Amino acid sequence: MCAKLVVLDAPRVSHCGASALLLDAEGPLSLQTQQRIWALDRTVRNWQEVTDAQVGLNSLLIVVDPLTTDTEPLAMRFLAEWNGTTAWSGNGRTLEIGIVYGGAAGRHLREVADRLGVSPSRVAELHSAGNYTVFAPGTGPGFGFLFGLDRRLHLPRRPEPQMVPNGPNLSMAGAQTSLGPPLKPGEEPSLVPSGWYALGHAPASPIPFDFSKTPPNVLDLGDCIRFRIERVET
Amino acid sequence: MGPMRLLFNQQIMVALCGADCQAVLNQRQVAPWSRFAVAPGDELAIGPARMGLRAYLCVPGGIDVPEVLGSRSTYFRQRVGGLEGRMLRVGDKLGALKKSAQPQPELSVLPPDNVLERGLHALAEQDDIVLRVVRAGEYDDFTSRSQQTFWRDPWRVSAQSNRMGYRLDGAELMRTDPGEMRSCPITPGVIQVPPGGRPIVQLVDGNSAGGYPKIGYVIEADLWRVAQARPGSVFRFVECSVTEARKALSEIVKYLDRLGCLIATADNGGVPARISRETEAGMANDENRYQF
Repeated sequence: MCAKLVVLDAPRVSHCGASALLLDAEGPLSLQTQQRIWALDRTVRNWQEVTDAQVGLNSLLIVVDPLTTDTEPLAMRFLAEWNGTTAWSGNGRTLEIGIVYGGAAGRHLREVADRLGVSPSRVAELHSAGNYTVFAPGTGPGFGFLFGLDRRLHLPRRPEPQMVPNGPNLSMAGAQTSLGPPLKPGEEPSLVPSGWYALGHAPASPIPFDFSKTPPNVLDLGDCIRFRIERVET
Repeated sequence: MGPMRLLFNQQIMVALCGADCQAVLNQRQVAPWSRFAVAPGDELAIGPARMGLRAYLCVPGGIDVPEVLGSRSTYFRQRVGGLEGRMLRVGDKLGALKKSAQPQPELSVLPPDNVLERGLHALAEQDDIVLRVVRAGEYDDFTSRSQQTFWRDPWRVSAQSNRMGYRLDGAELMRTDPGEMRSCPITPGVIQVPPGGRPIVQLVDGNSAGGYPKIGYVIEADLWRVAQARPGSVFRFVECSVTEARKALSEIVKYLDRLGCLIATADNGGVPARISRETEAGMANDENRYQF
C-alpha cells in the first residue's frame, strides 16, 4: 500500500545552489537520528560561516553568504561534524489538543479509511493514540512536522498537490502528520497547495507561532503533542 | 506591482526599477531604471508592466513599517510584515525611513539584463529565458533520459505561477525508482519534481520545506530572471558549477557597486567617489559598459 521510502546507505551533503548545503542522514527515518540532527543544528549555528540553519526530517540545511563562503570545503566539514555528533533529546514538554475528526476540514477521512480498509472512527482512534514529537519546523510557521504516526496509517502523498483551505487542520501523508495554525481574527481561509490527506481540525487550537512574542514559537523541537478525540463526524 | 497612483506629500528622492511599467510623473514619462526627485503634490502613475512582471519603487532608507523577524517585506500567506500583513489599499499612507538630502538630478541606468552576463543555451530562441542551474541532491535519481530532457527541452511557465513558485509545462521527468521522499528544508531556486513529472521552481514566498525530489537549483544570480518571467514565457536550463554560481552573484554585486559609485560621482559634481580597489580595477577594464 505504501510506496517504498527512499533510504540512504550513507549520509549525504548536497549543494542547494551556492548559498546552502543540505545534509541527509543515513538509514530509515528515526527519532534517534533526529536527536542527532537537533544536536548538529545546535553546533553548526555557532559556526562563523553559517548565517541560518533549518532542521528537516533526518536532515539539516545550513545557509551561508556565497560571496564570502565556498561551500565545497564546508560540505566536508559538515559531513565530518555529523559523523561525530551524539544525540540531544530535547526538553520533554507535552501539549494536548482536542480534534474533531472528519467533517468539512477532514474531507479525506473517509477516503483514508476506505484505502486502509477500516472505519473512519478506527482511523481517528489510531491517530489519536500516538504521542507525537515535534520533529522539525513545517512548511510554514506552525506546530512543525510531527513524528510518531502509527505505521498502519502510512499512505503515500498525492501524486499532484490539491488546493485545500488553510486553518487549524489536521492532516497526514507518508509517515508524517501535521496540524495547521489557527486563522487570525477576521481571516478567511485561503487555498494552499497540499499533497496531504485532511483528517480533521482543532476547534480550540493554541497559537503555535506568534510573531509578536519572543521567542515566537510555543513548542520547541523535541516537545510532544497528544491529540484528544472531541468527536468523529462522518 | 499592479497599476497604481502615488501622491507625494514631501520632497523626496525615489528610484524605480524592475519591470518597465510605463511610469508617468505629472504627465511626464519616467524612464525605467531611474531615480528622480518628487515634490509635495507630485503624482506618480505606474501602469501595467510592459516588459518583466514586477517593479520596485525605492525610497531613502526603505519604507517605514515595523520589522518582523528582521524583515520589512509582506508575506501575504501568513498575513505578516509590511503594512498590517496585507496588500495596499486606496488611501494608505507610507513613509520613508530616512529624509532625502538635497534633490539630485534625474538619472537612469541600463537595466541589468543589458549588462550582466547570462547563461548560454544552444537551443534557446530569441525570447527564451536561460537559467543557470546547479544539480541538487536527487539529480542522479532521475533517468538519464529525463536528465537529458531537463537540459534540452523548453519549459513553459504555466498560469499557476506566483511569488510562491513557478509551475512549468513540458515533458514529464521521471526517477529510476520513484520512492517516497522525506520532507527536507528547501530554499528559493529549488526545482522540485512532483510525481506528475512537471517541475516547480520555488521562489521567495515558497515553503521552507518540501518532500518532492529536487533535480536542481536555479542559481541565486538568476532568481530575478525567474521572478520577472510572465506566464507563457519559456525557460531553458543550463548546467552550472557552484564556483560559477558564486562568480555570477559577485558580478551582480560589482554591477550594483559600480552603479553606486557612478551615481555618487555624478552627485558630487563629477568628482570620483571613493571606491574599492577591486571595483576601480573592474571599471578600468570595461569603463564603457555602464553608461547612464
